[in-house]
Amino acid sequence: MSASLAAGLSDEKLLAAVAGGDRQALRVLYERHAPWLTLRLARRCADADAVSDAVQDTFVVVWKSAARYQGGGAVGAWMWGIAIRRLIDALRRRPRREFHSSERIDVEPSAEEQVLLGVEHGDLAGALDRLSSELRAVVQATILDGLTSREASRLLGIPTGTVKTRAMRARIQLRKEMA
Amino acid sequence: MTLAVKAAGVHKRLGSTHALAGVSLDLGDGITGLLGPNGAGKTTLMRVLATVLAPDSGSVRLLGHDPADREARPVIRRRLGYMPQEPGFHQRFTAFEFVDYVAILKEMTARRERHDEVRRVLDLVGLGDVAQQRIKALSGGMRRRVALAQALLGDPRLVILDEPTAGLDPEQRLRFRELISRLAQDRSVLISTHQTEDVAALCHHVVVLRDGETVFAGAPRELAEVARDRVWLADERSAGAELSWLTGDGRHRHVGNAPPAHAELVEPTLEDGYLLLVGRGSLAVAA
Amino acid sequence: MSPHVQSELLAAYAGGEIEGARAYSIEAHVVECADCQAAVARLVEPARMQRGWADIEDRLDTPRPAAIEAALGRLGVPGHLARLLAATPSLSVSWLGAVTVALAFAVIAAHESERGLLLFLCVAALLPLAGVAAAFGRGLDPVFEIAVAAPFSSVRLLLLRTAAVLPTTIALAGIAALTLPGVGWTAAAWLLPSLGLTVMSLALATYVAPSRAFGGVTAGWLAIVVFSAIDAGDRLAAFDSGAQVAFVVLALGGGIVLALRQDHLDLGRTL
Repeated sequence: MSASLAAGLSDEKLLAAVAGGDRQALRVLYERHAPWLTLRLARRCADADAVSDAVQDTFVVVWKSAARYQGGGAVGAWMWGIAIRRLIDALRRRPRREFHSSERIDVEPSAEEQVLLGVEHGDLAGALDRLSSELRAVVQATILDGLTSREASRLLGIPTGTVKTRAMRARIQLRKEMA
Repeated sequence: MTLAVKAAGVHKRLGSTHALAGVSLDLGDGITGLLGPNGAGKTTLMRVLATVLAPDSGSVRLLGHDPADREARPVIRRRLGYMPQEPGFHQRFTAFEFVDYVAILKEMTARRERHDEVRRVLDLVGLGDVAQQRIKALSGGMRRRVALAQALLGDPRLVILDEPTAGLDPEQRLRFRELISRLAQDRSVLISTHQTEDVAALCHHVVVLRDGETVFAGAPRELAEVARDRVWLADERSAGAELSWLTGDGRHRHVGNAPPAHAELVEPTLEDGYLLLVGRGSLAVAA
Repeated sequence: MSPHVQSELLAAYAGGEIEGARAYSIEAHVVECADCQAAVARLVEPARMQRGWADIEDRLDTPRPAAIEAALGRLGVPGHLARLLAATPSLSVSWLGAVTVALAFAVIAAHESERGLLLFLCVAALLPLAGVAAAFGRGLDPVFEIAVAAPFSSVRLLLLRTAAVLPTTIALAGIAALTLPGVGWTAAAWLLPSLGLTVMSLALATYVAPSRAFGGVTAGWLAIVVFSAIDAGDRLAAFDSGAQVAFVVLALGGGIVLALRQDHLDLGRTL
């Protein structure tokens, strides 16, 4: 189909076209979703090459498996699920050392700073921010990105056991803060 | 400016046939049409010019080199594009794979650049969308376009196309003409065809072969002039006429001498000139 | 967070300045919001995205390598040569299948009688030759005319194909030979003849047309096999140690001739 026609279609319709072999439709999906996927992946991995490989792989997978998309409206979420797993794969193909996330190494805010930040009890966002970056990375991977412990361990480059203990520590700390 | 092709006195026997009996040909920039009936030697000549066949005798210079010189042949072939009359394809190949294969034979070893070039020529001939389909699933017209695409790989200086419009419908033939006329700048293109309209529309130079000999070389206008004062329209067919046929508007066109009674002299076309030169044997082609 | 993310916040996010829980909120929103996705798309460098798309397109276009091609790649053959070789008719699945069937029949015959063993030895010796001859065959390589008109040396292509076909066919024949009934070294008596015949045919093809070279060598050798069997009263006479030595000499001699005259294999001249 033509570029102008494709630009006006919903993601679901484009996916249906991709399932029929329409490359222009895939291109439009790429233009819509590749940017935010790239940014989101980059916040889980400092290796820019791995990120661009993962984005590429994602759209090749979309091309091949568009017919398997069940519907339900969450095309973005479906793509994210593919993308994060492609990133894990891309990282597995590369020799690497452990890293936590692309975030700065955080220092625990002091008591004064906590007051200054206006943090209150029951504030989940603040509680999350007060976790150390290692714990936060695990929370991000397992809860926000919906990965299994094994997938999280591959993404973060740490043993599965460590994922589980850190998740438990994070949970304990959050519960304490929210109590 | 060096002529792309300078051929003189080319002879070639194929089995017992004297396919080329002293053909001479000079090709400059632009599009040259090669006309002639079946068996006139067009394909044989094209094969010689594409360095696929070695002539028995005569001199040939292609892009300034002699193809008889073993060292010169790859040099010529690097700037040559050839579309055979009946190109063979590996049936299992897709259009992309086939053109990619030829691109490797044209010494494009770097994969990414080669693929970019394959995409370029397939888009040029309008096959961008079907590049991933198997050749055996493509229509005849599309297969011809695949064959044309491979001839355009690497932007060759000399392009030899043997019956490129055979089997194309009028719309496809029109698109082909547009494509070729765009290409013709800074390039020499030789097209063999039965279709005199292609020649009239595209070519600034025409060569007519008959029985392995050159019977005409010049501008299309001059070919039409050959039939000056020899073309007539009449209401009925002339008895004993050689070249006479019923046209679409109900009158009979007659080319040659001895016009029928009450015939009206008309302006000759390129086709009339061609028919006059190659004789009655080609009337079936003109119909 | 409000239904939409303010553009400054998105720009800050795109610049990597937002972290922690606020980043998570933004991400959770963007994944489902087409407008914010579009806003992010405007913030990312277009050239980078276009390069990414070109890479994807090339991934989709790149033909999936045939098994032969992948195998050759693993052996260290450069990608473009592997592609060319994979298109060799005598490396195709159908051809190799036919070779396997022929060998199977010959093995069965060999189990039955000594005449069958002679048949096997002849078949095993000639199959590699047939495979190489097929690489010359115009009828079998449909792209022939276009290939000749291309700069890649036809001779080089032919020799590369020979180098790929010979070991493959010989390996198949070797496996078949292992299933022969206990005949000791005779089971390998076809190996040197196959190499010698192939090299001689190629050397001869630098003088005469390939079909004549391959046909002539095959016919001539089969005649020798028959006559020597009758003459010596021993069916396998053409495979005895004298013959093996002769083939070594012929292979070396033929190899030298071929090396010196390989340019005469250029098919454009002999078409």
